Amino acid sequence: MKIQFRDVGKEFPVRDSDHTFPALSGVTLDVREGEFLTLVGPSGCGKSTLLDLLSGLTEPTSGEILIDGAPVEGPGLDRGIVFQQYALLPWRTALANVEFGLEAKGVPRTERRELARHYLDLVGLRDFEARYPHELSGGMRQRVAIARSLAFDPDILLMDEPFAALDAQTRESLQEELLRIWEATGKTVVFITHGIDEAVYLGQRVAVMSAGPGRIRTVLDVSFDSREGDLRADPRFGEYRHEIWTLLREEAIPVG
Amino acid sequence: MTAVARRAFRASAAIVLLAAVWETLPRLGAVNPVFLPPLTEVLTAWYDLLRTGQLLDHTQASLLRSLTGFALAIATAIPLGLLIGWYRPLAGFLNPVLELFRNTAALALLPVFVLILGLGETSKVAIILYACSWPILLNTIAGVRNVDPLLVKSARSMGLNAARLFQKVILPAAVPTVFTGIRLAGAYSILVLIAAEMVGAKAGLGYLINYAQLNFRVTDMYAAIITISVLGLLFNLSLVRLERRFSTWRTT
Ligand SMILES: Nc1ncnc2c1ncn2[C@@H]1O[C@H](COP(=O)(O)OP(=O)(O)OP(=O)(O)O)[C@@H](O)[C@H]1O
Ligand SMILES: [Mg+2]
Repeated sequence: MKIQFRDVGKEFPVRDSDHTFPALSGVTLDVREGEFLTLVGPSGCGKSTLLDLLSGLTEPTSGEILIDGAPVEGPGLDRGIVFQQYALLPWRTALANVEFGLEAKGVPRTERRELARHYLDLVGLRDFEARYPHELSGGMRQRVAIARSLAFDPDILLMDEPFAALDAQTRESLQEELLRIWEATGKTVVFITHGIDEAVYLGQRVAVMSAGPGRIRTVLDVSFDSREGDLRADPRFGEYRHEIWTLLREEAIPVG
Repeated sequence: MTAVARRAFRASAAIVLLAAVWETLPRLGAVNPVFLPPLTEVLTAWYDLLRTGQLLDHTQASLLRSLTGFALAIATAIPLGLLIGWYRPLAGFLNPVLELFRNTAALALLPVFVLILGLGETSKVAIILYACSWPILLNTIAGVRNVDPLLVKSARSMGLNAARLFQKVILPAAVPTVFTGIRLAGAYSILVLIAAEMVGAKAGLGYLINYAQLNFRVTDMYAAIITISVLGLLFNLSLVRLERRFSTWRTT
């Protein structure tokens, strides 16, 4: 197992009170080496909290998180994060932004430049290396962010609704590109999304979360006989879609 | 008319109008020419001051004070602001005091400076240093504290330690805000200078204005006033240039 969540809970202190707010409780989830796992759930169910724990930016209140069998201790370059709001340094060009993670890793200057160019090329931005983030479109910025995370070669890619702010067309082309890159690099990907379609399209497995406090409700295996042609028109796609939709709907309308 | 010429015309139209009003009103007797001589007379006086070298001497004395105070303010307030902004508890602790001082007009403290440091150069440079420090200090603190938390989070996720985070994220992100403070300080350095030079100075444009007024050399007084406004304008213009150069990325 690449990633293991073992009965993980996370509570946040509530301001001006002794109470705590349970954002996650009893989360148990395994992610296989090289797997593409998508995570869906209602807003506020704790998806980003889960990712923060996995990235080592925050610590769980209970339970433990293991990567390659060892507990997570703080952030590290074995995990690369792609945020919804890109998080690019606005005073750096696209190329220099991709180099940022490589600087953190301590890669020598000349090699850094070469690697950064390679990854910008990989996301189709070869001709935009000298542009500043404000001179790029939303889709291009997200590509730079993806290139930055890929460049320092983490084993695990953590993505928090990276395509949510993009228009449908850009989103679809980036989804395809991401799958292509994933197949080429063999990285383990944990991808958070609001979109059921996106979850089914990208994920080998889809983890469905429920809220109050956040838990993993089900993990669904997604497989198609063939990914050729318009996958979204495949009847199986519709079935997965409906299954997840029903789970999330039950979530929205409290039962019993 | 070309576009450039048209723009130049539009930019200077109001100035030309002001000059024309200044020239004609005293000549028509609408205002007393003793108190407000026509512009051409003032310019003649200005030229005389320039020719005799007096203007240059006074300007030099003024600029030296201004720039010394300004430079010292930059050298002290930026490091101090970075420190206060970086250590949040320190910023919280000092905030009430900073608010108090920031709302006390610098010139109100001029007598205190004179009392402690005497009438010489030290007190003049010190009051300029003091006045310039506040905008730089407060803007530097704000610049450090208002860095986009997502950028900090993203950098931390890559395992950057505190020192590198400061060097690679906080500092560059704060540069434009710090520059806004520097530009404000530039304006203050001229404003406070003139007031300081009106008290017990032997040279400087503020002294010249005051001296000319006391001796009823009204044209000289206006000549000095014009010089100081042009000086302030040029100083501000060059700082704006510099600021723009350092924050091109900020345009969103
Ligand atoms: N630092 C914090 N302090 C207190 N409460 C927090 C904090 N971070 C998150 N929470 C709470 O924890 C819960 C889960 O938040 P989280 O951001 O993980 O949700 P999410 O599933 O990512 O939502 P969305 O889909 O809208 O992004 C929310 O109720 C939120 O208010
Ligand atoms: Mg979220």
